[in-house]
This record gives sequence, structure tokens and C-alpha cells, in this order.
Amino acid sequence: MPRPNDAARPRQARRWTRIAAAMQGSAPIFLILRRMRAPLIVLITIFAISVLGLTLIPGQDAAGQPRRMGFFDAFYFMSYTATTIGYGEIPHPFTDAQRLWVMASIYLTVVGWAYAIGSLLTLLQDRAFRQALALQRFTRTVARLREPFLLLAGYGQTGQLLGRMFDALGRRFVVIDTSGERVDALDIDSYHADVPGLVGDARNPHTLDNAGLGHPYCAGVLALTDDDEVNLAVTMAAALMRPELPVIARTISPAIQYRMAAFGSPTVVNPFDRYGDHLRLALRAPSSYQLMVWLESGLGAELPQRGIPPRAGRWVMCGYGRFGRELTEDLRAEGLEVTVIELATAAGADPSIVVGDGSEPGVMARADLDQAVGFVAGTDNDTTNLSLIAAARRINPNLFVASRQNRPETAPLFAAMRVDSLLVPTEVVAHEIYAQLSTPLLWRFLREMPGLGDAWAEQVIARLRTHCGQRLQRLWKTTLNGQEAPALTRWLEAGGATLGDLLRHPEDRDRRLDVVPLLVLRGTAATLGPDDDCVLAAGDQVLFAGQSWARRALLDTMQVDSVSEYVLFGRYVPSSWIWQRLTRRPARPRVPTTRTYR
Amino acid sequence: MSLEKVVFGFFVLLAATLNFGFFIGDIDDPLLHNEYELFAAVVVNLIATVLKFGDRTQIGAVHLATSLVADLQLIAATLAWAYATQISSHGLDGEAMASVVSLSGGALAANVVSVVLLVIETVSFQRR
Repeated sequence: MPRPNDAARPRQARRWTRIAAAMQGSAPIFLILRRMRAPLIVLITIFAISVLGLTLIPGQDAAGQPRRMGFFDAFYFMSYTATTIGYGEIPHPFTDAQRLWVMASIYLTVVGWAYAIGSLLTLLQDRAFRQALALQRFTRTVARLREPFLLLAGYGQTGQLLGRMFDALGRRFVVIDTSGERVDALDIDSYHADVPGLVGDARNPHTLDNAGLGHPYCAGVLALTDDDEVNLAVTMAAALMRPELPVIARTISPAIQYRMAAFGSPTVVNPFDRYGDHLRLALRAPSSYQLMVWLESGLGAELPQRGIPPRAGRWVMCGYGRFGRELTEDLRAEGLEVTVIELATAAGADPSIVVGDGSEPGVMARADLDQAVGFVAGTDNDTTNLSLIAAARRINPNLFVASRQNRPETAPLFAAMRVDSLLVPTEVVAHEIYAQLSTPLLWRFLREMPGLGDAWAEQVIARLRTHCGQRLQRLWKTTLNGQEAPALTRWLEAGGATLGDLLRHPEDRDRRLDVVPLLVLRGTAATLGPDDDCVLAAGDQVLFAGQSWARRALLDTMQVDSVSEYVLFGRYVPSSWIWQRLTRRPARPRVPTTRTYR
Repeated sequence: MSLEKVVFGFFVLLAATLNFGFFIGDIDDPLLHNEYELFAAVVVNLIATVLKFGDRTQIGAVHLATSLVADLQLIAATLAWAYATQISSHGLDGEAMASVVSLSGGALAANVVSVVLLVIETVSFQRR
């Protein structure tokens, strides 16, 4: 799994990968120039004729002597007359011949101005022109980004959810979507950072290029549209142009998943497949499942309820589409009996399939719902799902009810129904991607965590609750090397450096920081949920969870020598260089004091 | 034959010839330099500039640049002339006329480049 957020990428790698240098969008200035050609020529001609006429027509001065108007006066006069300002007749009152000419030229010039200004205003309203402007602004904003960002192709429910989660972490992203409304909604959404958005077809590689696929700071590509074909195209383009970038694509079709896998190694998320895995995990290990959902839900998420699905008995499945099939397979693989209610008769003569409309009273009865323990409403229509749940509960109120929620608007209804387990495909995808991209070691933790058993997961949840409270706090990764932890180098080299000593409070070393270490990675070997006796070595990577003030305190310990001296050894060392020189004592063997926490 | 090319060539060439017509003659003799000709040169140059708008080829860009230079020089010449005739207490003497004509001479150089570009474009044009 490539890590997208390693800030220290080699300088040489920070180059643009240009897809097509020549293929630049039409610059709006050229469009203005081309469209304004005719109006400007008309205006110049009218002015020239009027001015020339004024200089040629004989006039007279105040004394009645014949006198012609000079170019300077004529141009001055025409300038203020044509723009409808009008200062009167200068330098001398006009003769009738001059007035006749001026009358004609006034009408001519006003028409000329109206034409030119009208053309310019029409151009500004023009759709093509506005699109060209928007594209240019977008391309420029993206090109100016100077921090790692993610490219989101598709800004539907999943994209919006992920956007908010990443924004809360202070991560940047760029959005492409075919819908103008969704891209406009970016301005209204309350993001901390400015999110550039472009209305365009993500299948077009040039659109992806404009959105920064070739940008040196592009940290990953997410294909999240609800069209599998588009997601495949984005995956292909990203794999071919930037093979080193992590690509995550969403699909609900195994065939597309297979085709995506042909291009490099994209991570493909299939929400139905994942939900089945989650439900299996929930059946086997409810606490592991609870911990996983909590850590995937992002910053500030509350500890989810622990639903305990029945481990033995018969389940009834309504709706046998892609989702129904996946889930039925998963449930059967867990050794559970499943009865399927399906409208279509394509299923054949399978005895466990009841053919009929689930909302009809007789059909439910035929499925022996009163003898079942679990019920799944898995159609792609939320109203149907809700009425199915209501009907099933009337027959058997003790059922464990799982349902699929298709639209975000119906969330309050499902909440009011108190569904035991809810699949929201967009959320499953968003949480999965968040777990993979937010903190580099989190994904590793989540994959290996189920193997350690339910009781262990319960302990971790208890530790997280004591130290971080009911809401999930920040997760962060630390590498114990000279760059990130310069104050710890000697301590780590001396050996016997335990995690417990590192996590002492910088203000009072008898207290412990409210930080939970989730994972220690040494080389490729990961230790999950290390306890305070865990011995650290230089180069270890540690995943912590805790409040942000605790993170800052830990940073002080890792980076400031005087703090680390106190935290690790209980010694007070002056922090300024002069005082360090003045109070220098002969070096004592650095043995950590083995006092326990108060 | 394309009417567009005729109009384009006409204006580019006319801009150069009018400019030349005003420029020729003793540099400090107001009698040899007609103000109407300067006026016509400015107008025709402006039209030629606008005609060159929006062409995104390399030669089109250089065309536009030469025209802009000629415009700048001619407008400077016009301003110098307006200053001499309207504001300056000396009127249009030899010194003022010399500066007007030399400015238009600079514009002439730019216009010559423009005509040369036109010729190059025509010669290198291949009809299939």
C-alpha cells in the first residue's frame, strides 16, 4: 500500500507530468479579441469619418472670419459628443453646415458605441466564454497548490462525505464532476480550505490533467462517480499517466473490479462486498466491528452502538439483486440459513427462495418470518425497505433488522425505525477510503485488528474511552528517527526505551499523557495495541490516538532536549545554550528511573 | 481568392504607404508633411491592428506585435503634434515637426516589418 501523505518526497520527483503541453484551453483574451473585431472596426471607421468631416467643413470664428476646425478640436468634440457627454460647440459656435454634419455623426457614433458595448456585454454573458474563464481559473488555482492534495473524480454523496472528513483533517482536494450544481455547491459548503471544482467529464484525460493529475503534489486519485464506466476510465488514465500514485475506485460490479485490477494495483472498493464482510465480522466479533466502525468514522465521531446480530438461526432476505446475492453468500458462508423473498422468478427451483412481492401479507407468511431471527430489507427503494421492515416487525418484533439505505434524505426515517444494522453504500465507501488515506498506519491496524479477537478489541475500546472520551480524537503517525524525534536519538540508542516512559507528561512525569498507542511498526512487523512495557527502537513508526494537546506535548518531548531530559530521566536541564554550558555536569549514566505512574 | 485576405493585405499595405507618405520629405519642414495624411495613417493603422486580433499562430502574434508598435509610435507622433499646435508657445516649428516626423519614421519601420511578414506569409502559402 503506497503511502500518499509522506510529505518528504525527493525534490526531483516534484515535477509536472504533462499529458499534452500543446493542449491548452483557449485563452479568454483571444476569444474577446476575435469577437470584438467587427465592433471595433466599425467604431474606428465612424470616428475617423466624423472627425475628418469636421476638419473639412468650413466654419467661422467669433469675428466671422472663415476658419476650419483642427484635428485636435475635432477629435475632442467628437469624443465627448459620441460618448453622449456633450460640452457644447467649441472653439467657436458652429455654422449650419457644421451642424448638419455633427447631427449625422452623432447618430452614427452612438450606434457605433452601442454596438461595441453591446457586443462586449453579450460576450461576457456567453456560455462558452464563461466556461473558458472558469476552466482557466480552475487550472491556475490547481497549478498554484503547494501542498499534497487528492483528486476527487465525482462529487456525489460519497465525495461530499469524504471531502468533509478530509477537510476536518486539514487535507486539500480538487473536485471534478459532471453536474454544475454540485460544483457550485462547493462554494456554499463550509470548508476550511478553498476547494477548486471543475464541471467536466472525468473520462477525458485532459480534464484530469487540468485537475492536477500531473501535478507534483497530487497525492492520490479517487474515482467516486456512480458510473462504473467513468470510474474505470479514471483508474486507467491515472494508472497510465502516474503509475506511482495510489488510486482508489468505487464500483458495485465484480466485472469492472476485474477490469480495473488489470491496470496497476488500484484499490477497488465495492460497498456491497464490504458490507457483507462487515456483517460477518459483526456476527463473529461485535467489539472488533465496533472498533473498526469507530476508527473509520473520522475525527469527532461518537462511539457507535454495539449491535449484536444473532449467531444462530434463520435469516430472511428481501430483494435479491447484487446486494442481496452478495449478502446471502456471506451469511451462508457463516453457516447461517437464509430464505430469500424475490419478485422475479429467475432464481429457479431453489427451495430457499420464496417467489413473490415482499410487501404482500401472504408472501411474508410463506417465508416463516415468525421463526426467523434476522431480516434484511435490501431493495434499492427506500420506501419499499421501510415498509418491509414495518411489516416484518409486525409479524416478529424480536427480529434483528438490517437494511439498505439508498438516499441520504431518508436517514431520519431509518433512524426512527431503529434499524439494527444499516448499510449506506456511500458511507461504506467513504469510510473505507478514509481509513486507507487519512493516516498511513490506520489501514494496517484495521486489517490486522480482527485477527486479535473480540476481547482484545473490547480492551482497546475501553482504553480509547478512558483516554480520549466518547468521541474519536485525532490519529497520527510518528516516526522515531532523527528528523521527527531528534531529542530521543540517544535514548533510543541506549536501549530499554519503553513506550511508557515516552508517554510521561512533560509537566509532571508521574502522570501519563492521554494518548493511546495503537500500533508500532518496525520494518514490516506490526505490534497492535502495544502496552507501556513495549520497547522502542530507532526508526519505529507509531500510530497514536489522542487529543491534539496531547499530541503537542508529545511533540515537545520528541523535539526539545530539555523536555525530553525531564520526561525520560526526571532531570531538569536549562533550555538555553549559555545556561547549559554554565551548569554542565559530568555525564551520568543515563538510566531511566523506574518509577511507576501515580 | 479570399475577400478576407484582400481586405487584410489592403489595410496592412495602406497603413505602410500612408505612413511612408507622411514621413517622406525634409524632417523639419511642416510644409512637406500633411496632417491629414498623419490622421489617415493613424486610422488605417488602428483598423489593421484590429484586423490582426485573435490570430493565434506564431506569425499572427508577430503581426499583431508590429502593428501595436506602429500604433504606439503614431499616437505618440499625434500627441507631439497636438502639443506643438495647441499647447506649446512656439507653435509648430521645425524642432516640433522633426520630433513628429521621426516618431512616424519609427512607426514606418514597424510597418515595413509588417509588410515583410505579409510577403513571407504569402510566399510560404502552399495551395494544394
